Amino acid sequence: MRKSLLVAQREIMEQLKTKGFWIGIFLFPVIIVLSVAGPVYLERAKSIRAYAVQDSSGWLAEAVEREAAVADTRRLLLEAQRREMTKQDVDKLPPVLAALAPVMAKLPPSQLDSAARVLALGDSAAATPLADANRTTVLAVREEYRAWFDTASASTLRAVSSAPSRVKYRKVPATGDLNRQVRDAELFAYFEIGRDPVKDNSGLTFVSRNLTDDDLKDWYEGIATELVRKRRLAQEGISAQTASWLNAETQFTQRTVSESGEQAAVGMKDKLRQNAPMVFVYILWIAIFSITQGLLMSTIEEKSTRISEVLLSSVSPVQLMAGKIMGVAGTGLMMILTWVLTALLATKYVPAMLGAPAGQSDFSSLLTDPILLASFVVYFLLGYLLYAAILIGIGSVVNTIQEAQALMMPVMMTLMLPLLAMVPIGRDPNGTFAKVMSFIPTFTPFVMMNRAAGPPTVLEYVGTTLLMVAAIAFTLWASAKIFRIGILMTGKPPKMREIVSWVRTPSGMVPGRREE
Amino acid sequence: MTDAIVLDRVRKNFGDFVAVNDISLRVPRGSIYGFLGPNGAGKTTTIRMMMSIFYPDSGSINILGEPNSEVIKDRLGYLPEEKGLYKNMKAGDLVAYFGRLKGMSKADARAKGNELLERFGLGEWINAKCKALSKGMGQKVQILATLMHDPELVILDEPFSGLDPVNTEVVRDIILDMKRAGKTVIFSTHVMEHAEQICDHVVLINKGRVLLDGPITKVRAVGGSTIQLDYDGDGSVLKTLTGVTRVNDAGKHAEFVLAPNYDADHLLQQIVGKVKVRRFDTREASLHEIFVRSVGSDTTVRGE
Repeated sequence: MRKSLLVAQREIMEQLKTKGFWIGIFLFPVIIVLSVAGPVYLERAKSIRAYAVQDSSGWLAEAVEREAAVADTRRLLLEAQRREMTKQDVDKLPPVLAALAPVMAKLPPSQLDSAARVLALGDSAAATPLADANRTTVLAVREEYRAWFDTASASTLRAVSSAPSRVKYRKVPATGDLNRQVRDAELFAYFEIGRDPVKDNSGLTFVSRNLTDDDLKDWYEGIATELVRKRRLAQEGISAQTASWLNAETQFTQRTVSESGEQAAVGMKDKLRQNAPMVFVYILWIAIFSITQGLLMSTIEEKSTRISEVLLSSVSPVQLMAGKIMGVAGTGLMMILTWVLTALLATKYVPAMLGAPAGQSDFSSLLTDPILLASFVVYFLLGYLLYAAILIGIGSVVNTIQEAQALMMPVMMTLMLPLLAMVPIGRDPNGTFAKVMSFIPTFTPFVMMNRAAGPPTVLEYVGTTLLMVAAIAFTLWASAKIFRIGILMTGKPPKMREIVSWVRTPSGMVPGRREE
Repeated sequence: MTDAIVLDRVRKNFGDFVAVNDISLRVPRGSIYGFLGPNGAGKTTTIRMMMSIFYPDSGSINILGEPNSEVIKDRLGYLPEEKGLYKNMKAGDLVAYFGRLKGMSKADARAKGNELLERFGLGEWINAKCKALSKGMGQKVQILATLMHDPELVILDEPFSGLDPVNTEVVRDIILDMKRAGKTVIFSTHVMEHAEQICDHVVLINKGRVLLDGPITKVRAVGGSTIQLDYDGDGSVLKTLTGVTRVNDAGKHAEFVLAPNYDADHLLQQIVGKVKVRRFDTREASLHEIFVRSVGSDTTVRGE
């Protein structure tokens, strides 16, 4: 055991010196951080788009601006409400929003729109539906709010919520040659509104040189449609209630059944829980794949440089093999723990560091789920041991990486299967296909991880794990027999039939091949 | 004194091929024991069995009084024929690692390794990666790694191959030092001069069998006497002489085995005038001659 540990220790030190290990350990976190930080950063880096409107209708452009302010205000109020209710970062809100936050927390959802109208437009008539105490506060701060909102910079607004349109678009007066301004990129785009948009779409144009980004156009169209529709309804004498009733879609509310067997609401976390196993399967796959490759390389190195014979004069083949497997397992665990840790920190802190509002903690809470994490580590070790036993056997019979590739083909094919089956299994985690796959030891770790959302029954967990352990024991035993002969062998790699005959000969005998 | 190694009818098959065919031999303690034999004779397989890398199919092996050599692995040192180092390890780390595998403590292994490297002129390479070492240096590092734990018995498989004359001398001194310290050294070689110079005992193996075994003086006596000639000129004429059963011609030096009833005078008369003779004398047969003769006839000769 002492000797195996020495071998393991050297193996770890050597792996730490390889570039592959550090690339592996850093590349993944870098990808994670980039994928979390990237969208936040890109959104922020997008410059505010200036647009102008030439309005021949005399009312629509102004109405759109008012509605946009109301919509922005509503978003800000929602965020204030959320922070007040979760008691998170209320003190980081601008003073006027902080003052409104307690009121918002008490407001029924249906009245949020009224409050937003009062604040954004100074429209005191809209305050009627509000309860007395709330109305007083809202009316009292509306001047202060207007002053703050009209002058607030994009970064101030973004610190509260990334969603307001003011963060993305800015209306400028339509003066001078608009076409030239668009060409010279002084303007992102301009709108032309016809004389009577209520009648039809004639004279409505959107002029821009950017033909791929429709964000501004879609946003403007959305608000304009609502306003035009309101006028059409009024013209036809249809009440707003009737109209929205006519327009309402038929929807089914998605619900699930909890552990205790009752119907329960579906949260963000539940949805993540369904998808997270797939992420884990990927990570598991990459980890097992890259780590066992390292083991293969180091076995081939020892063999091709003939160090193995010196080693075997000090340690037995089984000690050597055990040491190598343990050492590489050590580096593998270091690698995946680093990954999990960075994934945790990245999802939890990176968005906040970049100034985005907190609140994506669902994913990080999932990552800290002890059962998911523990099963991940256990399946990593089981999967690693099985594939390590196979690859160390392969490494011991070949002399070069090229020779190894031929023998690796079937292993690679086997490894690809659980990846290909990932989506079907994720959709139907307790189906026959998934169940059968779980009981094939080469697939067990991936498929069981994949099915975590199912989840599989305890019996299946125990059954597949026992089968897997048995398979590992058998593979290690067979591999040790191949290893002790293969590691000293030179020349052409043996045929499959020859390898099988090695496994079947008793220890100590060396079958059918001249040594010198 | 007990023998360091006793092999009793040891046999090893690789499938149908008999690599080692009932070899029995005794290696006296404190001796330098030469393992001689052509390629494929079974030397390496026999050595691997002594090191418990292989196990015999039949027969018994007793090393340092211990039938189970697994137990005494830490008291043995082994330098295989195929030599290699971890390319990315530092020389100092490498010898320390091999020392620790033989049971040394971390501090001892580090100190002893550095001391050995210093003593053999590799002090400035302690922190160099092994891939930076020349072949000769690498081989010295490997021999030092073999000797790190001060083994009682060392088996060196072709220790001189690939070494220049200076380093050959260094390695020879290491072997002689070990003998002086009372250790047993077994080494295999193809180069008969090396064996002649330093071995106390030799064993000659061919096709898995012992052809010759005994103290070097006795073994050499078996060969009888031969004629030694140092010469300059075209040596091709030496092949055409009468009264000679065999010539071992090395270009500047030749060894003649006389046919029965012929003497040195007869030989000398034929040579004079054909090549320039620098030295001509009668001596004990060289190990080379004995080797060639034995392997050629392949009959067991006991030199006891």
